[in-house]
Order: sequence, then C-alpha cells, then structure tokens
Amino acid sequence: MGKEIIPAAEKSLNLIRGRLCDPSYVFRPLSASSDSNYSKLKFIVSTSITEGCNNSILLLGPRGSGKAAVLDLVAGDLLEEFPDSVSLIRLNGLLHSDDNCAFKEIARQLCMEHHLLFSKMASLDENSQFIVAMLRECGLAHKTIIFVLDEFDMFAQGKQRLLYSLLDAMQSVTSQAVVIGISSRLDADQLLEKRVRSRFSHRKILFLPPSREEFDGLLEHLLSLPADSSFPNGYVSRFNEKIKNITSDTRFKDILRTLFNANSTVNSLLKFIFRAVSLMNLESGLLSLENFKAALSSMQRQPKLEAVRDCSILELYLLVCMRRLEVKEQSAYNIISVMKEYKTIHDSFQTSDYYAQNVCLRAFEHLRERQVICYTENRGQSQTGEYRPMKLLISASELHQGMRSHACCPAILLKLLDH
Amino acid sequence: MATTTPRTKTFKSPAKTPTTNNIYRKSYQSPSLTPQTPQTITPLRRSARHVSRRIDLGNDPIDVPENESKEEMNLIRKRERAPPRKQSVDDVSESLKTPTKKTKVDSEVSFSPVSPNRREKRKNKSEEVKKTKTKKRVYYNRVEFDETGFEIGDDVYVKRREDANSDEEDPEIEDCKICFKSGGSDVMLECDDCLGGFHLKCLKPPLKDVPEGDWICQFCEVNKSGGGQSQTLVVPKPPEGKKLARTMREKLLSSDLWAARIEKLWKEVGDGVYWIRVRWYMIPEETVSGRQPHNLKRELYLTNDFADIEMDCVLRHCFVKCPKEFSKASNDGDDVFLCEYEYDVHWHSFKRLAELVDGDSDSDQEWNGRKEEEEIDDSDEEVEVEEDEESVVRGDSKGKRGLTSVKGGANSRKGRFFGLEKVGAKQIPEHVRCHKQTELEKAKATLLLATRPKSLPCRNREMEEITAFIKGSISDDQCLGRCMYIHGVPGTGKTISVLSVMKNLKAEVEAGNVNPYCFVEINGLKLASPENIYSVIYEALSGHRVGWKKALHSLNERFAEGKKIGKEDDKPCILLIDELDLLVTRNQSVLYNILDWPTKPNSKLIVLGIANTMDLPEKLLPRISSRMGIQRLCFGPYNHTQLQEIISTRLNGIDAFEKTAIEFASRKVAAISGDARRALEICRRAAEVADHRLKTNKTAKSQLVIMGDVEAAIQEMFQAPHIQVMKSVSKLSKIFLTAMVHELYKTGMAETTFDRVATTVSSICLTNGEAFPGWDILLKIGCDLGECRIILCEPGEKHRLQKLQLNFPSDDVAFALKENKDLPWLANYL
Repeated sequence: MGKEIIPAAEKSLNLIRGRLCDPSYVFRPLSASSDSNYSKLKFIVSTSITEGCNNSILLLGPRGSGKAAVLDLVAGDLLEEFPDSVSLIRLNGLLHSDDNCAFKEIARQLCMEHHLLFSKMASLDENSQFIVAMLRECGLAHKTIIFVLDEFDMFAQGKQRLLYSLLDAMQSVTSQAVVIGISSRLDADQLLEKRVRSRFSHRKILFLPPSREEFDGLLEHLLSLPADSSFPNGYVSRFNEKIKNITSDTRFKDILRTLFNANSTVNSLLKFIFRAVSLMNLESGLLSLENFKAALSSMQRQPKLEAVRDCSILELYLLVCMRRLEVKEQSAYNIISVMKEYKTIHDSFQTSDYYAQNVCLRAFEHLRERQVICYTENRGQSQTGEYRPMKLLISASELHQGMRSHACCPAILLKLLDH
Repeated sequence: MATTTPRTKTFKSPAKTPTTNNIYRKSYQSPSLTPQTPQTITPLRRSARHVSRRIDLGNDPIDVPENESKEEMNLIRKRERAPPRKQSVDDVSESLKTPTKKTKVDSEVSFSPVSPNRREKRKNKSEEVKKTKTKKRVYYNRVEFDETGFEIGDDVYVKRREDANSDEEDPEIEDCKICFKSGGSDVMLECDDCLGGFHLKCLKPPLKDVPEGDWICQFCEVNKSGGGQSQTLVVPKPPEGKKLARTMREKLLSSDLWAARIEKLWKEVGDGVYWIRVRWYMIPEETVSGRQPHNLKRELYLTNDFADIEMDCVLRHCFVKCPKEFSKASNDGDDVFLCEYEYDVHWHSFKRLAELVDGDSDSDQEWNGRKEEEEIDDSDEEVEVEEDEESVVRGDSKGKRGLTSVKGGANSRKGRFFGLEKVGAKQIPEHVRCHKQTELEKAKATLLLATRPKSLPCRNREMEEITAFIKGSISDDQCLGRCMYIHGVPGTGKTISVLSVMKNLKAEVEAGNVNPYCFVEINGLKLASPENIYSVIYEALSGHRVGWKKALHSLNERFAEGKKIGKEDDKPCILLIDELDLLVTRNQSVLYNILDWPTKPNSKLIVLGIANTMDLPEKLLPRISSRMGIQRLCFGPYNHTQLQEIISTRLNGIDAFEKTAIEFASRKVAAISGDARRALEICRRAAEVADHRLKTNKTAKSQLVIMGDVEAAIQEMFQAPHIQVMKSVSKLSKIFLTAMVHELYKTGMAETTFDRVATTVSSICLTNGEAFPGWDILLKIGCDLGECRIILCEPGEKHRLQKLQLNFPSDDVAFALKENKDLPWLANYL
C-alpha cells in the first residue's frame, strides 16, 4: 500500500469545495467597493424599501457572471436588515413563462409568505386580483414585495400579461414592489412591448467579468486556508506556501490565460478550480501545478476531434469519401453515392479494407449516432435511409487532425484526403 | 412622506367663547379628580374584550362587543329621556340567551350602509321563521340628538364607565398651565411635548407671535435636558381651591374616555332608542406594542373593532384627521386627533389607512363597502349568485374572522379575498415615520409614476373634448349611445385624462349638474380571455358573477332590448376599455358586440376605447370600423416644452433639480418617444444617481441633480449595453467577432456559417501568432455570444453548418474592438 491519506488534506479539500459551491462566499469580496454591482443593486432596492416606492430593475450579463448570486447576496442582507418588511417572490422564466402558471405561483408564494391558505383551483382572474389586493395590503403595511424573475426574456414573450399586470399594479400609490429581472440576453428590454416598456422603469445593471487583479484576489481568497483553523501545525502554512508558489509560476499564468481566452466569467474559473482541487493528491495534501494542467485539459475537451480519433478504419474511409465528394463540389450526397466513391477508391488503390454493403450501412448508422455526420433537410421524410441526403458535420481540418492522431490510420487515407 | 415626520404644528386653543355645543355637556357628579399619567394606564377595555372574543371564537365577533357594551351601557344610562329601562334589559338578556345570535346580527346588518332612510326589510324568509321576535329598525344617515347632529362617519367621544373619573365640568377650553385661567382673548400656545396650553403672555420671556415650527415649553425642555442643570423650574401649582379640570382630550389620552367613529345610526322602532354602531379608536398605549417613540401625542389608531352602543353614551364630537388635514387643522380646538394607521385587534398588526393613501373618497366607500360585504354573507342576493359555491365553504366563511383556519384558499374567493387582514406590520417601521426627507427624496417621491399629480398639464384640449363628448352623450334625452376611440403612444396620459375627466364629472353629479351615470373601467390586458369582458361588465352592473355566455345573454337583453338587470336603474352607462386591441379575436365578435350595443335605441351605453395604434379601426372588419371609427381623439407624443412643464409642475416647490438638467432630460425624451413616463423615470433615476453620489461622496458641493446625473440616467436607459460587453468579453470571443465582421466585409452577406468563420479565425490566429484553440472550443464561444444575443445563431448541434449573423451593426463591433490593448492587430481586420 502507498502512503497514508492525511486527514487534514481531506478536510481542506472539503473546505475549498464548500467555498466554491457557496456563491455568497465567492462574491462577497467582489462586492466590497462602493462601485460594485452589489452596492448599486442594494442601494436601489433598499431605498425603494425605505422610501416606499416602486422600481423595476434588469440585471444583464453573460451567463456565469454572478447575476443571481449577487442578487441573493443583496436579498439576504435586506432580509436581515428589514426582517418584517420584505417578502421575496421568485419565478423562473423556464418554468413559469405561461401566464396562468406564473400567476398561480406568485399567489402560492404570497400565501406561503403570509401564512394564508392557498387554493390550487383558483382561476387566472382570481389569482391576478388576489395579487393586486395583496400588493395593496402589503403596501399599506409598509411591506415591500420583491419579484425576482429569472430568465426574464422568457417572460417577455407573447402578450406579456404578467409583466403588464405587475407593472401596472405598481403604478398605484399604495403598492410597494420591486421587480428584478435577470437575463443573459442583452436585448431583453427591447423584447418588451411598447406599453410594457413604458411602464418599466429601466434601471439596468450590467455584469461584466472582473478584471485580472480581481481574479488574482479571488484566487487567493478561494484557495488559501485560514490560519486560525483546526488544521495541524504547519500544514496551513505549507499549503498556503505551495499555493503562492503555484500562482506566481508563469506556467500557471499561462494556464489561466488559456482558460480566460476562451471564457472569462467567474463561473468558468470556479469550475476550473473545482476540477483542480478535486485532483489534489491526498497523500501529500498539497495542490500541484499538474492538477491545474489536468483541470484545464478537462475543461477544454474537443469532443469532435476525439470522435474522429475513435473511429474505426471503415468509418474513416467513409468520412474521407464524403470529404472527397465535397471537394468535388457535390454538395448533396447520400449513402449510395458515398458507397460509389468508396468502391472507386477501392478499385483504384486495391486497399485491403473492403467491407460488404450492410457493414457499411452499420458504420453509417454509427457515425450518425455520434453526430459526426447527419441527414440534412428532414422535410422529405418520404425518402428512405439510403436515399436521404447527408452532410459531414466536421470540417476538413478537424478530420485531418483527427486522422493524424489516430492510432492506426492507413497512410493511404491521409493521401486520399489531400487529393 | 411629509406627513409621517414629527409635525411642526402650532396650536392655538380657540379664542372664541364656548359655542352652542356646550348644551350637551354632561353634568355628572364625580367626587374627585385623580390625574393619571398615560404611561401607567393598562389597556383595560380592549384586553377585556379580547378575552371574551377568544371564548366566543366560533361566533360572530360582533356579538361580543355588542352585548358587552350593552351591559356597560346599562350602568351608564341615567337619562330621563331614555325609554323604559326594563325592556332594554330584557332585550339584552334575551339576546344573550338565544343560541341563534348569529342570524340576528346578520339580519341587522343586511342593508347597504350608504342608502339613507331605508327601511330594513327582511329578505330571507327562513330567517324570519326562525326569529320569533322581529325587530324593526329605522336607519338614518344623520340624527339630531341632544340638539347636535350626528352623521355617519363622525368621530365622537364615548363615555367609558360610570365610575370613571368624570370631571365635574367638561371644559371646552383648557386652562393655561401657568396662570390657570382659561381662554380669554389671549392666544394660547400648545407645547408639542406635554400638550399643555400656555398663554403667550404668561411665558418667560413672553412671546408676541406663535412661533414657527416645533415649540416645547420650558418645563419639558428642562425635563429633557436632564437633571444636570442647576436651576430647575418649578411647575406652578394651581391656586388653592381651583380644581384642575381635565379636558376630554386629556381623559381620552389617559384612557378614561373612548373615541369612536360612527358607522351606522338607527332607531329601534319598538322602544325608540337611538343606537349607533361604532368603530373604536385606540390610543397607542392600548396596542400590544405600546407607545412607540415615533407616536405623536395626539395619535390614535382606528381599529377593526365594532360595537353597537346607545346614543346616550356619546358625549360630543371630536375630530380625527388624517395627517394631511391634521397639519392644516391647527386652529380647530383641542379635540383634534391624528389617525394614520389602522390597528387589527385580532392580529395586532398595523396598516396604513387605505382611504388616506388613495386620497379620494371613492375608494373610501369601496373599502367600507367591502368590509360590510364580508359581514352580510347571508343576504338573499348572495344566495342567488353563489349557487354553485358549496354550502360548506359558505358556512365557514362566516367563522373565518378571528380564526386562523380558513377552508378554501385565500386566493379563490370569486373576487373577494379573505384573510388579507392578516397582512400587516407588527410594528410600524421606524424609518417610515422618523425620517426627515431630504429634498432629493422628496423629488424622487413626487416623480414616482404612482404619484398622481394634482393637475394634468398640457392635456386641457383633449380633456375638454372628452368631457364634452361624455356630457353630450349623457344629457341627451335619448342618450343615443356613442363611442369614442382614443389612441396615442404609451405614456401620453390617455387613461389618466379619462379618469380625471370622470372624477370631475362625478363631482358635478354630486353637485347635481349632471345626470347620474355608472362607470365601468376594464383593462383588456387584465382579462383572462377577451370573452371574459362580458362577465366583468355584467358584474360591474349587477354585482353578480356569472359565466361569460350567460353574461352576454343578459347584457344583450339589457342593452338591445332595454331589460333591466336586477335593481339597477335606468342610468346611462359609460364603459372605458383600456388596451382595446387585446379584445380582437379571430372573428372579432367581442368587439362587434360591444360596439354594436351603443347603436341600439335604448342602450344608454357609451364606450370609450383606448389603444396605442392609430389605425386599429382600419385593421378591423368594416362592420366594426364603421361603428368605432367615427369619433377619434389622438393623444400626440409630448414635445419637450410639455415634458418640461410636466416635470416642473411635479417638482414644484422642491429644490432638487438644476433647470438645465430637466430641460436636457425632456429634450432627450421628446426626441426619442415623447413618453412622459420615460421622462419621469429618467429624472427619478437621475435623482437616485445623485443621491448615491452624495451618499458615497460626502464632499460633493452641489446638492442638486446636475446634468451629469441625467446623462448617466439616460445612458443607462437608452444605451444598449452590448458595446460594454463586447469590450469585456474574452480574447477569443473578440477574435471571433472580428472574424465575423471580416467575413461580412469580404462576402457582403450578413449570414455566414460557422465553417467559414472558424476558417477565418484560424487564419487570423496563424498570421498574428495566437494559438488556435480548436473548433469545438470555438463553437462554444460562438454559442456563448449567441446567448448574449451579440450574434444570432442556430443551436450548436449543427456544428459546421451552424448559421451565424451579427445582431448589431458591424460598426458597433468595430467601435468596441478597435482600441484594444491586448489585441491591437484586431483593427487591421475591422
């Protein structure tokens, strides 16, 4: 047996994983400055609570930039600050884009919040009247209702009855509500109908990826172990020392750069670190550069290339044939024409790999299942299998690259591909 | 809110001599006077009532206070004028014994509170059978009692108990705290802390005029500053032999008296006793949370606690005002109180008074009406309507008040929602009342869309036209129904203009200049389906809820054949349909029906339709457009001077905006849409930005909203954020976008495929020494951009064949990416 696992290693692993999965831990340091989205959002919402006014806010930004996390942070703080006067209603556009369902869900959550009995049988009319009545009552009692509409763009489709009713109800003096929409579509507010847009108050908060300095700070915040914890002596300092070594290494910086070149959101960094930490050597209990390297390669997989790499020889033949047909500017081809090409290759080069038609059909089916090739134009369903036009889904260079790295690709195939 | 801050009130107790009001002064023999401090008083009466209610939970809570108060009253009653005691006592004991208390109460209250002098008729026959003793009552709107008129809605002092310390006399005017002489011709000043009155000339130093703002007397001032000071003022002792008379106000505030609002007045026909139903007021000490620091001295809470009492216990009028009126009523005497909140005695929670917030009497009626309605569950019309509702549910709806368990949800009550009284603040949050508003916050509050402006500038012509139209249609003898189509872009004041016209007309109806009419307002977007409009109209006219088919049938009878619905009389009906375009169905039958009714001879229906599109009638079938398109009114977009006027009238008297800032905002909005909502929102946002700026940066010199703030607000509102996002996306995304633009320039085709873009990216990367990431990663980058809608793309599964297109002009991309520090060479391709 190998060396023993250090218990502290497992503990530190759990600690860091816990941190990575806790958005409030991740985003707390990013929200400290007065110019951050956190403080902007909090300012708007808390003034609407204290001054009793209505607002509607859009949080925009690419996926993974922490919109919902910052909102949760703000909501948590506000619930602490004004325990009695805030109630949070959450809707998700993917679940509640249907008006009926959305009204029902709002009514349900309002009932839950105020310990009222909820009836599932209520109609849309009743529910919407109930919501208006509740808005009024809550306004009279100085309570603010915060509506969080995740995937806001999904609500901005169709007649937008939900948005219209909410925003219109917010035009009365007694109501006190904040509508917060979250969307990754930058043009979400353009989707609104004119009359809805006119009622929307158009506060927009844009979430952009943090700068490099902030990322460095975040890395340290996430990875370094706290000094005053119950870890054994010296372990914390060794661990932190190692982290410092790694992060100052230029190779590590290269890895990070490659990562950010592709996707520079906070979320991708978190995923990356999670993978790296999960690969930590539990015997030594320390992270190493190799962990991060492995994490990067697991982040940036190339599924299509790997698919080509795993193809059988016959499948490669077929792919090459299809490619050759494309080069011959035969834009539409089906199994029959590919088989014909395959036969001419075989005839002219006398390769050893010739298979019967039914074997080839199976190979086609296999390729199609892996989405290396596909049928085009599903309109003409009448055509049966072998007559349906097909398309190659990988490009020539990918095919080339894949065949090069293939374990036993016949040399003739590479040659055939080029000519 | 201005009203919630500690008021700056100057109070002069009336210099006038006692008026005729004094005739109804009581003269009770009461031995001595023991002044009580408000703090030591325990909330006796309410707590007692609570206990009894809890015992009686299943029953209608109204019973309890009624019986109790009757008993109490038996103690108090001493009037000669009062009818024979005995019968009344019997009455009480009987009602105490009878198990069918509930039915009795129900029958008592089954009348509409607004209708004057209406004979109470028992409608429910079964009840009549049940009840052996029929009681007849005559209800009044106004009663002359003891030569004073009492009306519904008046506030009165009510005697508490016989043995309470009722003073020998009941001074209208309190004595000066220093010279102990009352009134005279001198002006008296009220201390804002102890509410004591002082002659101006008795003060040291004497004052000439009533000072502005808060004034605290010297005694309170010393008390407040603590005992640390060497000189302590001795509170002057009253001269020997003179009794310190307490005013009713003092007694009330130390819970020796009650205050209540009259909800109903009636006379028992049998014995001729006048009764009233009152709604109690409560002083802050009696609430569960006690007096809170932000409570004002003269503050009362309106409760939802009712009781029937005899007229005899009423002492005299007092005046409970909402904050706005209260601040005006500085000279109205001593019996003025402030009431802003309602206190729920079951749930111990506070709520703002709805009618105060809404500010028009209309909703007041509605509010009371609803409350009343909850009580009269058993009147016959209800039975008729709610046939389909199971009796189980109906049964328990009665017991629901005061009970936590309600069968059936709070949201499914056919338009009436029970259990809402549970919603309420356990305590009035301090920030609401103790916060002095800054100019900026005032500006923000008045710029809210929800704040209804006092006047509507710039829409006089349109409003006149609407008024003329409606008046003309109503006053027509034939009342040949007509129809008007109002159109205009959003935010140009269409709905609010119509509503304010209706409000003015209502005032005229009350003044008697215009025939009465009924007004129904419907929003097309709030209907579940277009057909539902029939049931909504029917419900508004008759108060009943039916399915839309039945409603259509009845409405057809009503408008086309002139049959009456229920008891509704022959008033013309004005129908306002907002968002009319939502009613367009496939065969447009809904619109046709609604617009066809006005043409019928006896319909007396006037339809006002509001929508955004100018050419809605033209888009419809000819048979509809010929009925609708005759009279049209266009609300054009506001121009910048109008917008400026709208904003400045709202901001009148608040010094928060630079003039140029307002002009800038209104010009900008006028250039884009002319939407007043937008202009107000921009200004409000600018005020918020300024507020944020001032709060985070204390050193800022200007307290006003400046151009920069407006600029920032406009940027946020109008500028699409894509440029900022493009500047901050990852490096490969930038290269990807550049490749797309490059491709666009090369081919001139907007649409391209992933295959081509990827080839371009790889060649760009090769020539500029960047590492090409691989097709699959590139595909993912493209999809991410697609999700932000910077580019439009097909789903990623099509891979090489995926079609891509830029969602923004290529110039935007070029602008965003040209000055890039990381990738300076991108400019070569743009």
